[in-house]
Amino acid sequence: MTTRSGTIREGTLRLGRQIMARMGSSGRRSGGGRSWPMGRGLALSLGLLLGVAPALAQTPHPAPPQDGAVALVGATIHPITGPAIEEGTLVFEDGVITAVGAAVTVPTGAREVDLRGMHLYPGLVDAHSAMGLFEIGGFDQTIDLNELGEVNPNARAQVAFNPETRHTSPARSQGVLITNSTPAGGLISGTSAAMMMDGWTWEEMTLRAPTNLMVNWPFPGDEAEYDEAIETLRDTFDEARRYWRAADGSQGSVVPSDSRWEAMIPVFEGDLPVMVQANELRQIQDAVSWAGEEGVRILIVGGRDSGLVVDHLARLEVPVLLSSVQGSPSRDWQPYDEPFTLPARLHEAGVSFGIAGGTSAPYTYRLAWEAGTAVAFGLPEEEALRAVTLYPARFLGIDDRVGALEEGMDATFLVTTGNPLEYETQIDQAYIQGREIDMMDVHRRFYEKYREKSMQRGGFGADGR
Amino acid sequence: MTFRVRSTLSGWVLTLAVVLAPLSLEAQVVTEATPPVEGLRENTPGVHALVGVRAVTAPGQVVDDATVVIRDGLIESVGAGAEPPAEARVWDLEGYTVYAGFIDAHTGMGMGSPRVEERERGPAYWNPQIQAFVSGAREYVHDESQAAGLRAQGIGAVLTVPQLGIFRGEAAVVSLGEGRTGQRILAEGPAQSVSFSRSDELGETYPTSLMGSIALIRQTLLDAAWYREARAAYEVAPAGQVRPERNQALAALEAHAQGNAPLLFETRNEDELAWTLEIVQEFDSQLWIRGSGSEYRVPHLMEGFSVPLILPVNFPEVPDVDSPESALNVGVAELRHWHAAPGNPAYLADRGVEFALTSDGLDDPADFLANVRKAVARGLTSERALAAMTTVPAGFLGIEATHGTLEAGKTANLVVSDGDLFSEGAVIRDVWVDGVRFPIEPSPLTAALGEWSLSVPGAPATEGHLRLHGAVDRPDADLTLGGQSVEVSSISVQPGARRLRMEVDAGPLGHEGTARFSASLSGGELHGWAELPNGARLGWHGTPAGEVTPASGNGATASPAPLDLPDILPLLDYGREALPEQPEHLLVRGATIWTMGPQGILENADLLVEAGRVVAVGEGLDAPSGAQIIEAEGRHVTPGLIDAHIHSGSGGGINETGSAIVPEVRMGDVVTANNPWMYRQLAGGLTTAHLMHGSANPIGGQNVHMKMRWGLPAREQHFEGAPRTVKFALGENVKRRTERYPDTRMGTEQIIRDHFMAAREYEARWGAWEADPSGIPPRRDLRLEALVDIMNGDILIQAHSYRQDEILMLMRVAEEFDVTIDAFHHGVEAYKVAPELREHGAAAVVWSDWSGFKIEAYDATLYNARLLHEEGVVTSLHSDNSTIAARMNWEAAKMVRAGVDEEDALAMVTINTARALGIQDRVGSLEEGKDADFVIWNGSPLSQFTRAEQTWVDGRRYFALDEHRDLEQRVARERGELIQFILDNR
Repeated sequence: MTTRSGTIREGTLRLGRQIMARMGSSGRRSGGGRSWPMGRGLALSLGLLLGVAPALAQTPHPAPPQDGAVALVGATIHPITGPAIEEGTLVFEDGVITAVGAAVTVPTGAREVDLRGMHLYPGLVDAHSAMGLFEIGGFDQTIDLNELGEVNPNARAQVAFNPETRHTSPARSQGVLITNSTPAGGLISGTSAAMMMDGWTWEEMTLRAPTNLMVNWPFPGDEAEYDEAIETLRDTFDEARRYWRAADGSQGSVVPSDSRWEAMIPVFEGDLPVMVQANELRQIQDAVSWAGEEGVRILIVGGRDSGLVVDHLARLEVPVLLSSVQGSPSRDWQPYDEPFTLPARLHEAGVSFGIAGGTSAPYTYRLAWEAGTAVAFGLPEEEALRAVTLYPARFLGIDDRVGALEEGMDATFLVTTGNPLEYETQIDQAYIQGREIDMMDVHRRFYEKYREKSMQRGGFGADGR
Repeated sequence: MTFRVRSTLSGWVLTLAVVLAPLSLEAQVVTEATPPVEGLRENTPGVHALVGVRAVTAPGQVVDDATVVIRDGLIESVGAGAEPPAEARVWDLEGYTVYAGFIDAHTGMGMGSPRVEERERGPAYWNPQIQAFVSGAREYVHDESQAAGLRAQGIGAVLTVPQLGIFRGEAAVVSLGEGRTGQRILAEGPAQSVSFSRSDELGETYPTSLMGSIALIRQTLLDAAWYREARAAYEVAPAGQVRPERNQALAALEAHAQGNAPLLFETRNEDELAWTLEIVQEFDSQLWIRGSGSEYRVPHLMEGFSVPLILPVNFPEVPDVDSPESALNVGVAELRHWHAAPGNPAYLADRGVEFALTSDGLDDPADFLANVRKAVARGLTSERALAAMTTVPAGFLGIEATHGTLEAGKTANLVVSDGDLFSEGAVIRDVWVDGVRFPIEPSPLTAALGEWSLSVPGAPATEGHLRLHGAVDRPDADLTLGGQSVEVSSISVQPGARRLRMEVDAGPLGHEGTARFSASLSGGELHGWAELPNGARLGWHGTPAGEVTPASGNGATASPAPLDLPDILPLLDYGREALPEQPEHLLVRGATIWTMGPQGILENADLLVEAGRVVAVGEGLDAPSGAQIIEAEGRHVTPGLIDAHIHSGSGGGINETGSAIVPEVRMGDVVTANNPWMYRQLAGGLTTAHLMHGSANPIGGQNVHMKMRWGLPAREQHFEGAPRTVKFALGENVKRRTERYPDTRMGTEQIIRDHFMAAREYEARWGAWEADPSGIPPRRDLRLEALVDIMNGDILIQAHSYRQDEILMLMRVAEEFDVTIDAFHHGVEAYKVAPELREHGAAAVVWSDWSGFKIEAYDATLYNARLLHEEGVVTSLHSDNSTIAARMNWEAAKMVRAGVDEEDALAMVTINTARALGIQDRVGSLEEGKDADFVIWNGSPLSQFTRAEQTWVDGRRYFALDEHRDLEQRVARERGELIQFILDNR
């Protein structure tokens, strides 16, 4: 249509042809459903270029376990924990990265794939999500977020995770490979679980559980009610702690069990952080003080007013998980870009932070763009990437497995045409523990189905403009 | 019955206004009355003389040392130093000021018990909110505590308005004096009261929204005009004509509809004022306004404003800045309104606006005078203030011959104050209404103040000293007995009975506990007795031993001088001090320009603008001399972004849910400039938006196109020349309401079809009448009129939709009537019927990727817009969300991720949107002759890492990043100053 966009199109086509040429000798990939046809504006579909004819997708299914070592050669590798590696090699076997670097020898027997021109990034991690627990808004039967009552520390997210949810497939095809699925509601909602976006059962999909205990900090409306609610929270933790001491000191005698307090023992033993939903200034400060008194590890989620208390947060090394970067200011006097600049301000003040998606499961796949917004408003690009990979992985205690590309970590990563935070980038392929994920998601499936309708009626109509 | 009312005690001025007899006996007015007298007649002379007063006979006119003579409820004379008539009861009021009784031109006096259950009797209007036939006089039930509350503020006569409905009925002018209702009513029906809000007491039906109220007001006035014609046409020749209905509400509105009697609109904010002026313009009606106190926020409406204005003094509460945390939630808008509101009356007076002041709108009418004083402290002259409470309302209400000044022959309504009533601390002692005196604050027992020598025979310490000082009504006491200081725990002075009471520590009297001292003040001495804790009693006696000066007033402090803040519009946190300049010539040079027109994307190109319009886009354009030049190397320039579906900017809700079919309601009627979202959206490059009605109705209200002219009045933000559009809605939302048809998608189809047919028939009826205008004329029906315009293509259809079945259904119904659906909004499943949409000619205005928030959104796909676009449907992206409307470039960018060509993606938030909205000739691309609405970005508009640096509308720069940083500083500074002002003066 125009010189400029024409250039882009030709450029991508050229790149695509190169890849196709290289892939020619690499053999077919496993699995079907790789028939995603890009529009005329974007011929860069590796699936198409790999020689799979456009056709209606086969039923997509979870990927089989990795079969044999694979070496990806020539891509720019972004390990996140270190500088980018140009023309690097990444080798993985049995779902685990065995080598990553510029001067890696491809092991004998490994399937070698030439990915020159492409980029490798760790899969993105959404550390606060309703994934698997939420299907359709306003339709309670499809939602399993809020258990009855105020105190539900024993509610476990992973057991209610619906592997058939429609929302995992678009998430992984836009780069989000791990979600921390979190119960909601009440004072103590339950424990979260780090879930992988592919698998046959919730058990297979669970990367780690529990990852944290979800606490909803009381809302500071009426001062007296607010104080009372905090007192209730203190009492609750005190009761749980006394149970733990009783059980700990029981020396074999029978202590009548309490499922609620049983679930909180890892918190007191220092194994399980508490994720506290807190947005207002008072909530954030009071939650931090409370956690200090209780001697529990805290992760603030929400963090809307965290920019007002950066020194406090930095001094006490309290991590914050921001959940609304692409938002609006909550107060009329605040500048229009208040939420956009918040990550940069936290970064400059030395506050440890990550960026989460909104909690609506269908929108999990927008995570990268939340982080990208912060880049437009002053956050260094590499920090924005860390805020959706390494940092949330640390907060969840899964940074030994995901969030970076290092030897010994899970082969859970993305093959892209560029920075996943940018719109023009295409997420070409995702791997979860070395398994090559079917990139046909529910959005694309609808596209394909109804594109077929147009084709049956004689092809697309005239240009819409 | 005689007693002294003039008295001098101990050389001090003691003014006692003690009335022992019931008031009604004292002031019988000789008048013709219908009720016969039972028992003995009472004819005490109804003559009074207020002597030695400073009489403010009219605003700006004062007679010192005046005698005001009242006879039988009327003022007989006002003269300097005149002798009172012998039969007069004389009131020595030296040092007091007398004003004409105040008139409150807008109250609900006596309207507290409406006969709701009877409102549908007789030939009522179909809509229960139309209560035009109600008579305030006939509804009146006297409420003495309400009357006393108003009288305590000096008010002797009021306009009372019925309180229920939209057309609420005829007001009445009422005296707050004594007597039967028939004696109170001064005038019936000087105005018909109109309000914008529905009364739930009359039924929770149409209208449920402010725009619905406006539509109903317009329809009712049209109906009133039609009713007169229809009745007349029928009565000329009843035979052979179908009898038109009888309607008491429409009959009551005849004079108002013809402009012969005023409509009194009660406005609650400056927006409602603007809307009122527009409605009335259409009908050429006489208008009165009950203001809101926010008039200063709309200076453009106040220039030359000549409508009778009745202004409340309902100044806002001090914003909660008690703690730094609570102060976080207070912005400049709230702080400024609190700061500015008391200056509203002075602001209007300075602009020559004539107004009356009313206690209406106050939570407690007892705040009335205090707030008037605040207005005076903020520059309203006492003279104007007095006029606004006397002569001006008298003129509005047509009672100037009898009320409003102190003149012989006028009604004896007076206010007696212990000083200039418009200075801090002055207190109203008495109010006279119709010649009857109502004591308000008892005269203080000033005689009690002073130094007293005490003797307490029988006590251990028999000599003592008492010093009473401070405020006369609640003095402080220093007591010593036998040289020892004694703690006084409470003290009170009862002026009528002239009694002093104290509770003191009984220790010096030799007892544990409290001793209670009480004394009668008589002959300049205190004659007391006391009761001790052990039940013993003793007497005491006090003689004068010195004077003290009474503390003035009520301890009120003077109002602090207000801060000097720049005028900004709108009066919100990021308001502007001035409309941005429109340079005659403007050249943006060296940018990557996305023209979104046939020129495509041009590298290193220039954009030339003249007087708000694009002149040329191209390389190496010459700048006319004097042109403003922007060097934009490395920058991208795009047309201003357009959002086809927002709801921010409504000043009165977005859904008229009261009826399934409401195309007569118009979002354009309720736009507000108090819209903080607009600035944020400008900052994201949005220059045009389509403010839409909600989705509660198969055929909803009309929408309005807006230009983001931040700082201009709401009406000037309307996109002039844009076509009219209407909201249709399908699916879940319209069938959600129980007890309102439809409950299914089947019913939705049928009700739309049925109304299309009705519209055709309505058009035919008018056609027949125009061909042969005889007999009873057809009635103008705004709903059907709008439907006719819709079907004739004069109003573009913008249909909310989710599922493919309903999209297809609406197209097929429309086709049956040869109507085109111009655009489907949301269209979550539009991709499933893309070919059908193209064939029909409908545009698709969809979300980038909303999904899963309800069942009908479950089949959403990120590729919706892409497939529609590939099919050849004009495809646009909308936000339906105030936050997302501020970053529509990123919505377009998502389509790049979905595989759409970059320029095609940007078209979805520029030119395609303009097409879907029928404004493509003005906006959406940068082409010669189009509006100079454009955005300068610091990179590609489709990059996640880009932001808008400047946003221009009509060749004016409404947003610039550097200017924004200054604004941010100003907001911070002003907040700080205003919060400090509160802290300093609390």
